[in-house]
Amino acid sequence: MKQTLMGNDAIAWGLIHANVDMVSGYPGTPSSEILTVVQKIKAKLGLNTYAEWGTNEKVGFEVAYAGAIAGKRTCATMKQVGLNVASDALMSASYIGNLGGMLLVAADDPGFHSSQTEQDSRIFAKFARIPVLDPATPQDAYDFTKLGIEISEKFQIPVMLRPVMRVCHAREIIEMDDETNYTPNKGEFKRDIPRWGAVPRKDRYPQGIEQLNRIETLKEFNWETFLSKEFDKCNRDDLLIITSGTGYGFAKETLVDSGVEADLVKVVMPYPLPFEKMKEYTNKYKKVLIIEETMPCIEEQIAAPNVYGKNTNTTHKIDEMTKERILKALENIDAYKGENIYAIPAMSEQFQIPEVAPRPPALCPGCPHRDIYYAITKVFKKKKAIYPSDIGCYTLALAQGAIDSILCMGASVSMASGFSIADPDKTVVATIGDSTFFHGGIPPLINAIYQNHKFILVILDNSTTAMTGRQTTPERSHKDIDIKKVVEGCGIECHEYMYTNKLDVTIDFFKGIKEVYEKATGPVVVVAREFCILDAERAVDYVPMEFATVDEEKCVACDACTTVYKCPPMEYNDNGKIEIDPFLCAGCGACLDVVCPTDAFIEDTSRKKDK
Amino acid sequence: MKYQSVIAGFGGQGVVFLVKVLAICAGNRNLPFLGTENHGMSQRGGAVSCHIKIGDFTNPVIDNNQADLLIGLEYRETLRNLSFLKTDAYVVSNDDPKFPELPFKTAKADAFTKAKNNEFPIQGLNVFMLGLTLASVPNFPFSVEEVKTAITQMNAKVAEQNIKILEMGLDAGK
Repeated sequence: MKQTLMGNDAIAWGLIHANVDMVSGYPGTPSSEILTVVQKIKAKLGLNTYAEWGTNEKVGFEVAYAGAIAGKRTCATMKQVGLNVASDALMSASYIGNLGGMLLVAADDPGFHSSQTEQDSRIFAKFARIPVLDPATPQDAYDFTKLGIEISEKFQIPVMLRPVMRVCHAREIIEMDDETNYTPNKGEFKRDIPRWGAVPRKDRYPQGIEQLNRIETLKEFNWETFLSKEFDKCNRDDLLIITSGTGYGFAKETLVDSGVEADLVKVVMPYPLPFEKMKEYTNKYKKVLIIEETMPCIEEQIAAPNVYGKNTNTTHKIDEMTKERILKALENIDAYKGENIYAIPAMSEQFQIPEVAPRPPALCPGCPHRDIYYAITKVFKKKKAIYPSDIGCYTLALAQGAIDSILCMGASVSMASGFSIADPDKTVVATIGDSTFFHGGIPPLINAIYQNHKFILVILDNSTTAMTGRQTTPERSHKDIDIKKVVEGCGIECHEYMYTNKLDVTIDFFKGIKEVYEKATGPVVVVAREFCILDAERAVDYVPMEFATVDEEKCVACDACTTVYKCPPMEYNDNGKIEIDPFLCAGCGACLDVVCPTDAFIEDTSRKKDK
Repeated sequence: MKYQSVIAGFGGQGVVFLVKVLAICAGNRNLPFLGTENHGMSQRGGAVSCHIKIGDFTNPVIDNNQADLLIGLEYRETLRNLSFLKTDAYVVSNDDPKFPELPFKTAKADAFTKAKNNEFPIQGLNVFMLGLTLASVPNFPFSVEEVKTAITQMNAKVAEQNIKILEMGLDAGK
């Protein structure tokens, strides 16, 4: 059956068609849609599938892994940096193995589109000694998902699927199973203490030996199943290009566009590679070029004097694949000598492509985070404060100058501890979202209370994982999980603030918190109850539909709104006055009373108030 | 046939919707295609540039000097994406007084002013620009009827409204 699907949809269908009935994970671009699509398929077909978010990637991995130990076919989904969090579980699971097939989807983000690092999850698979499959297209993603489950069950080891963003968020016609004959394994835990409860060194050492032997068997499997037929198609002796994942698609098109002739090998499983067998073939070539994203995974396994790639400075080492970069690599090894066919064409003499000001992502118009950050920077002045923050939409408050540091999930709290010790003359005001707090913010908060670290922590609770597409958070679906109670349970008071669009009220609240902080000996915690403006279910209760406009007589072009408050609809017009873009204004009314020092923002009464 | 299109705008304008409509058009005719979309952080009002390549392709990304068509939902986003175009490409763009003359075959309409005058709701801007494309790009691979079918398949509930706006875009291009 042919279906037009995005890569992540294809992975979700692949899981269902592979009889996976436990899916767990944590949202993260570009992986997020996989689990939500499984939830949609489940609802549509009335399946009895477990498809739920974990509180973080480690939790998600472990839920799925235990399912696979008990014989179920399972999957854990996450983005590449999420795998860093789940890595403790993965490294150990790779020794112990599983009975039912388990697929670990680690979606990479070459080019840093939505991630703080680029990394390459295939390297992580190599580090953990588990096989990894690298799809080039959504069709591959569907096929390899099913294949990955089969391989995992056959070799009793978790298998990684490593799609990059250009696979996850690519769209094409997929050929998939005509029917869904969903027949999941029955889960049954079979006690095997030396295996599931393996202790160092007695049980772990033999498991380590098994792990090494398994990799040798998998190398053989890789050759027999995938690689030998690829090499059988080769017949040249001058240039061989070995690729995996998106590298294949880019390399193939570059060869067609440039007219360069070469043998092309597509690697399905970039680790473990049967490098001894491969070398019998690669040795025959004058030059072997490796095209892969983003680190030299294949290259380092088959390194030889005739092998070119990142370590020989032949291909690019950072940022996304482009055909221009592959052409450049071909030029670097003297395989291409023509002009750059991907150069921007010369425009006419009269016209050069103009420089356009960058348009970075910004907090949405009407987002309550903006008001909280505005109040924090008003009450805790920059010169005497440090603002550690975290991973989520609120990271975009960087534009307001309200964030000083971003490291990784949950780090705002522990870094607030560190800053408060290192520079005690400043007030440390840390911010973290609700989903990130549950993900990684609780252990560092307990640490701060335990060690009496004095700082302010503001938990921005909009009851959703907003940045990745508004996935459910623990407290959203289970009302008894309450951030305030969690903080109180750790032994300290939690100052609750109910967001209102009256900025002076927000500022007054933080003035009160400043007084509490001055007398405090440990962390002062605030939970700001907010909403997400894109959250159709909740936003409607909060947004008063008070649209703003500008009294041009009063606007003195002082920049206060465009530098400190920074709401996207505010922009200078040709008269040098601020104008509100009516299509962007969300009607939150928050800018109407405090933001403008000359009161130029007034309500646009011509606009309808209907919700 | 090989036909490569860039659709540009900023987060919230419905760029991805247009990619999906063109993908459905291609799917309905069983033409192979590869498209790529922006999700996540780039959706928060930031610049969005989605690509769809119809024909025998193996990766979804368009390189410089390759695209046959650029649809820009805002004039600055049109300008930002010009480097993708071949010299004989078409540009269909939302107009602005600051929009320069381009050395490409260009169709423009001031869709923001039309939306401000309540000719159509701003959410329909993407479909309006698609209508303008259908009217002004002779080698565009899909017919008006094919696009209408795809819009209906995308979301039947709002199809009537969207098709009305599509026709306004068609009229603007005549």
